Amino acid sequence: MRLSFDDATEAFRREFVAWLADNMPDAATATSERARSSAYIPPWARLWQRKLFDAGWLVPGNPPEFGGRNASLVEQFVHQEEMGRHKIYPSYNPQGLSIIVPSILAFGTEEQKRRWAVPILRAEITAALGMSEPDAGSDLAGLRTRAVLDGDRFVVNGQKVWTSGAHDADVILAFVRTDPGAAKHRGISALVIPTDSPGLTRRPFGSIVSPDERDFNEVFFDDVAVPKENLIGDLHDGWRVATGSLGHERAMLWLGFAERLDDLIVHGGAALAEQRLAGDALVLDWFGNLAVDAYALRLLGYRTLAKARRGVEATEQSILKLLGSEAVQDATLHMMEALGPDGLDPDRRSAPLDPLHYEAYTASWWERYLRSFAGTIAGGTSQIQRNIIAERVLGLPR
Amino acid sequence: MDFELDDEQVELRRVVRDVAERECPAALVRAVVGGSDDGSGLWKTFVELDWPSLTVPAGDGGMGMSAVELVITLEELGRVADPTPFLATTSQYVAVLRECAGPDGRAPLLAAVCAGGTGAAAFAAGAAQARSDGDGWLLGGRARHVIDGDRADEIAVVAATEAGAGAFVVPVGDVAVTREPTFDGSFHLATVDLDGVRVAGDRAFTGPGVEAGVERARQEAVTGLAAVMVGASQRVLDTVVAHVKERRQFGVPIGSFQAVKHMAVDVYVAIERARALCHFAALTIAEDDPRRELAASLAKTAAGDCQRIAAQHGVQLFGGLGFTWENDLQIYLRRAKVGEPLLGSTTEHRARAARLVLAGHAATEVDG
Repeated sequence: MRLSFDDATEAFRREFVAWLADNMPDAATATSERARSSAYIPPWARLWQRKLFDAGWLVPGNPPEFGGRNASLVEQFVHQEEMGRHKIYPSYNPQGLSIIVPSILAFGTEEQKRRWAVPILRAEITAALGMSEPDAGSDLAGLRTRAVLDGDRFVVNGQKVWTSGAHDADVILAFVRTDPGAAKHRGISALVIPTDSPGLTRRPFGSIVSPDERDFNEVFFDDVAVPKENLIGDLHDGWRVATGSLGHERAMLWLGFAERLDDLIVHGGAALAEQRLAGDALVLDWFGNLAVDAYALRLLGYRTLAKARRGVEATEQSILKLLGSEAVQDATLHMMEALGPDGLDPDRRSAPLDPLHYEAYTASWWERYLRSFAGTIAGGTSQIQRNIIAERVLGLPR
Repeated sequence: MDFELDDEQVELRRVVRDVAERECPAALVRAVVGGSDDGSGLWKTFVELDWPSLTVPAGDGGMGMSAVELVITLEELGRVADPTPFLATTSQYVAVLRECAGPDGRAPLLAAVCAGGTGAAAFAAGAAQARSDGDGWLLGGRARHVIDGDRADEIAVVAATEAGAGAFVVPVGDVAVTREPTFDGSFHLATVDLDGVRVAGDRAFTGPGVEAGVERARQEAVTGLAAVMVGASQRVLDTVVAHVKERRQFGVPIGSFQAVKHMAVDVYVAIERARALCHFAALTIAEDDPRRELAASLAKTAAGDCQRIAAQHGVQLFGGLGFTWENDLQIYLRRAKVGEPLLGSTTEHRARAARLVLAGHAATEVDG
């Protein structure tokens, strides 16, 4: 047990931080055009992502031809930690970079890697993830979008929903049912579907935050023809790709929550001081809880990292997600209420804008509270996480 | 940043758990509560294993281990509701001597611990006073809620002097002690009357650095108590999980019901949260990191939270079977709860942690 990383890791960190200092986009450029959905990358951000790719700093764990430098797990962690500290993202198409590319690199052919993974990495195209359906949310394996193999193409019919950024994306990695006769986990396949395919309709819809916030989409497939070579992994073996994809999504997800909790301490601390509430006994009680959660999450995250480094499959991702997402929700709710009537104004920022960061992270306390539900619902609800912990960690019967 | 126990620490935990489970079954704790045993046999076992000297510096004849090993040990002893004065001796008395007394002053006192002697500490700078009296010191006041104050061989009394806090080591026979009743019958708390007690010069530790040493010892004591609460809470959870796997209603184990699962998970997460912070607090003590004051308060807060939910859900999930004296649940429940108000309550530590964090807007990155 030690409180610091080793010297080699710290040297890696210094190298990356120095590179960031020379290469980060300036604030004026970044404020000139904001990322408007999770599959729209503004021109300045495309240049930024391309720079990272060329320098091997985009996904350091990858080999150089895929934007990396074969970095170790701990180095990848430090890289992500510094991105967070600098309030900047490697890509403004997070699903493309963190879920779809790793899936194609893990399960795709060389041709598929060249055709989709590299262009996504180089910010030449963007991608959306087609998993959830109206009747397949937590029960993802219950998905019903059908793909029928017909000669050298699949014909796809059905509907996806919550498909973030689909209206701005060039391709969708969609999970479809190819064998309706098999057990539900066994009859699924993964297809890359270009969004300009005839018969594919995207309908963006507003979120609880605002009718004008357009990131979520309904995506309808009406006899959409998809070439057979767009199949990722083996036919009917899509569940393995799906769980692998979510594994990529979840591996360091906790760090995002840890950063949100640190932000809440800083932003909340400043707002409470301004309101002369920083010494209030009732405030201290929940604010102390925020501090406990923030430290505990980071420490448990570090432990998970150490386990992963030893190659031990961590069952702890569920604990980290549950603890982190609920702590963020609890603290944002407290902040909103602590401000009293001032907390009602939906346009009053909770902190100064970070130009390279998503605006949501400094939006009103009301908006931050609403968005905290993305943490407790998306990527496996808190109820599902509790079921997973109960069954896999505590060994309770299904 | 490596936040995993190393191989030796894992081995230490295994050894302590084995001994604790074998030598301190629920039957022993029940015997102590009932008055037919005083736990001295168990203490003798601990002494034979050299455990009381765990954090006594090697130069003073001890094992010279760090607060991390102490916390690992205390958690395991909390798990069996250890009825001996181990907690007070190691995390309080030894800590005060190590942090407040110079090498010459502490040598004979620590040698006594290595030989099987016991100690307690009264952190009573607000309630006890000391004034210089010839070649010794004269104490006054009354210290309350002193863990093992009625049965330890020695009490390290932290008392206010004209020049800040000092530490005064008093044989328990020299003071008037009264055991305070608590709901945990195998846990000792005492009121110590100090009026007119004389302390020889070689047992008085005052002057520059002592007040800071007292604070450091207090942090260790707080962390140690938190670890005991975590261990006892873990035992409550273990007991409950075993029960809900076995107990069948409506034709199925009740542990298959989501309402039951989710309650058990909330206890589990609260324990993980508290244990991580206990380890962090121990590590900041071991590495003398400046966040040790904050870390101790975070640990005690999280331990307070976890005992609360463990007790609440523990009894509830056992149903009627948990509401009996025969069920061992009540033993560990009591041990988990008894630490809550001591050395600063959950609410006090939570507010303290909040103040420290608000003052510094401290970010949580552990690597600094």
